[in-house]
Amino acid sequence: MNTYRFKTNINCASCIKAVTSFLNEIDEVDSWRVDTDSPDKILVVVLDEGGPEVVVNAVKNAGFFVDIIPG
Amino acid sequence: MTHHPDQELKKSGARQEALGVTGMTCASCAVSLEKHLQKIPGVHRAFVNYPNQSLNIEFDQAILSLEDIKASAGELGYNVITGNAPQRQTLKEEVASQRLKSLEIKLIVAISFSLPVFIISMFLMGKVPFERWILLGLSLPVVVYSGKEFFLNAARKAKHFTSNMDTLVALSTGVAFLFSLFNTLFPEYLIDQGLQPHVYYESVVVIITLILLGRYLEERAKGRTSSAIKSLMGLQPKELTVIRNGEEVLISILNVIPGDLVLLRPGERVPVDGKVKRGESYVDESMITGEPIPVPKMKGDYVFAGTINQKGSLKILAKEIGESTLLGNIISFVQNAQATKPPVQKLVDKIASIFVPTVVGLAFFASVIWYFCGPEPVFSHAFVVLITVLIIACPCALGLAVPTALMVGMGKGAKAGILVKDASALEMAHKFDLLVLDKTGTLTEGRPTMTNLKIASHAEERQVRSILLSLEKQSEHPLAQAVVRGIGEGVSPLMVTHFESMTGLGVRGVINGRTYMLGSSVLVQNLRLSMETSLLNQVEDWQSKGLTVIYLSDETNVLAVLSIRDKIREGAKKAIKDLEGLGIDIWMLTGDSKGAAQEVARELGIRNFRARQMPDSKSDFVVEMQTAGHLVAMVGDGINDAQALAQADLGIAMGSGTDIAMDSAGITLMQSDIRSLVKVVHLSRMTLGTIRQNLFWAFIYNLIAIPVAAGVLYPAFGFLLNPMIGGAAMAASSISVVLNSLRLNQKIL
Repeated sequence: MNTYRFKTNINCASCIKAVTSFLNEIDEVDSWRVDTDSPDKILVVVLDEGGPEVVVNAVKNAGFFVDIIPG
Repeated sequence: MTHHPDQELKKSGARQEALGVTGMTCASCAVSLEKHLQKIPGVHRAFVNYPNQSLNIEFDQAILSLEDIKASAGELGYNVITGNAPQRQTLKEEVASQRLKSLEIKLIVAISFSLPVFIISMFLMGKVPFERWILLGLSLPVVVYSGKEFFLNAARKAKHFTSNMDTLVALSTGVAFLFSLFNTLFPEYLIDQGLQPHVYYESVVVIITLILLGRYLEERAKGRTSSAIKSLMGLQPKELTVIRNGEEVLISILNVIPGDLVLLRPGERVPVDGKVKRGESYVDESMITGEPIPVPKMKGDYVFAGTINQKGSLKILAKEIGESTLLGNIISFVQNAQATKPPVQKLVDKIASIFVPTVVGLAFFASVIWYFCGPEPVFSHAFVVLITVLIIACPCALGLAVPTALMVGMGKGAKAGILVKDASALEMAHKFDLLVLDKTGTLTEGRPTMTNLKIASHAEERQVRSILLSLEKQSEHPLAQAVVRGIGEGVSPLMVTHFESMTGLGVRGVINGRTYMLGSSVLVQNLRLSMETSLLNQVEDWQSKGLTVIYLSDETNVLAVLSIRDKIREGAKKAIKDLEGLGIDIWMLTGDSKGAAQEVARELGIRNFRARQMPDSKSDFVVEMQTAGHLVAMVGDGINDAQALAQADLGIAMGSGTDIAMDSAGITLMQSDIRSLVKVVHLSRMTLGTIRQNLFWAFIYNLIAIPVAAGVLYPAFGFLLNPMIGGAAMAASSISVVLNSLRLNQKIL
């Protein structure tokens, strides 16, 4: 289990809805959530295995800005 | 069809809609609405289904809107209902119950006013002062209020130069009422001409009352049909739990989106078509596939809306939702199949459409003869003959002929466990020449049963039985129940320790210090267990017959093998033989493997079968046979059969099956006894025979009275029709019809 944090512009309920299917589709994603109250709209993703690239691609494909927070 | 230069453009605006229609009271209403709609510019195709009260229409959105179509149908007095399937269903049911309610009130009014009219006319004639005026007053509400629809329908028919039962009723009662009214107001007119000014009020009101009664009985029987769509819809849970933004939320089924992660707990119904992302479980898919044994599901497997999750929890990635799920497709198919079924013209309407012009022709012919050959005053005589022929033409038992026979027939069926939903199903039941049978749940019991147990020579039977019972009692595997039942009583379970389930292999447990395992052939292969030749041969034999085999072993040797199968229903073989004796071709269709299908077919003596059938391939097969000119009956029990049941000319469901199958079918065998199929055919023959006899009895007295009314007896006896003859014909025909229907009860099915 690896946990990654991302800065995004997913800032409302319908944005979450839009990104939902893209993140759920990814096999390795165990769970995720976006904190729309935080200024950086932090997306936290728990992966079973593998690196954060799949998440970055998925969020980009959904049409949002995404940037991994190192550490 | 004319070709427009912009036709291509128009095509792009084509829109197809399946709509509900209310206000249609007979099959010809459907035809007239259909013709009317097809004439509207912009309508490509319109198909109206009377039994289902629905409309399938393809029209050009660029030219007209749904509202225009509604308005256009409204001109004819029909109401087109829009909205989605369940909404439409509810609306249609509301309208139907309103119609039944209004019929009931009309009937009560008719009966309460007809009764005194009848008593006065029959027993108190000449004893009541102002009797004609009283009769007129009492008849007026019956004609104007209760009988209104006959006159309106007849007028609508007349516009298109067609006629049906309504025409006959309206013509006879209308003429009789107006003639009686004239004779009440101006009795001197006919007296001065040397003729009796008869009044026929009791004919008028009794005919209207009895026909209304028949219509009410018919409508009440119809009210129970066609909620297939509703119960299919009910299979989709209304609420579901999804994981949105990391939290479990309970949402309405309407708010789920493809890509949602759905959380499915044990016992819950699958709400969407999707792929398992997390978890393992068994899912009961019997409603889709018809196979009774739950299917194991793990990551990557597909699950379908409407199926039931058994023991484990699953996380499902929603792929298809709402109407695009497999279930949704079945729903729309069933709906379409019902909507495109050709309407069955009622026998009475068919007879009436020939009878009416004949009677009118006869009446004019008779009056012409009177005009030229009759006594003075020729015009009055000719006129009275014309009127009386028309008055006597309508048999008041006409309305009772069909409903009474159907009610007795359906009641008789119900006593024998045959539930007939609609009249056309009962009619079709003696006409079909090809019968399609589903295997699982129809020819077989639809639940797995342990059929054989073979024990290795070195093992002891009693001990093997108690080990089997002990292990299977702990197991959650779907087949475990079959083994527990199969072992039966007299064996007591032992203490099991270290019980565990080996995924994909089976279960293991320790009893009295020794380890035992129970599982599939994979278990034997993986652990390289040894098995004696007699057991090996037995297993080979079972497998070739398509049976499921379970192995019991200790750590090294197989101790026993047992076979599990879905048992064939009692009497199935004889039923098949009897049906073939009636000249019916038999086909068996199943979603099961070829081996299992072959074995069942062989045992039952069925020559034709198809294995590995999907729900739509079953209905495709029915279509194929229908195109080849067969009238097809289909017997089934599952949702997987619903399409084929709806498509077939006659659908028959097993009472042990799903509600959807029962709703899609016209007939249900309550005891799930396949032997009842032969009875269905007999019941159909008897009832239809009774209907025909009834129609004969309804018409015969009036047919005999027509020559009297036309004046055939006048030259010899100076005798013309009077109300007594009309009354006698009414009484005789009604009594004959009712008695003849009741006679059906005495017959042996």
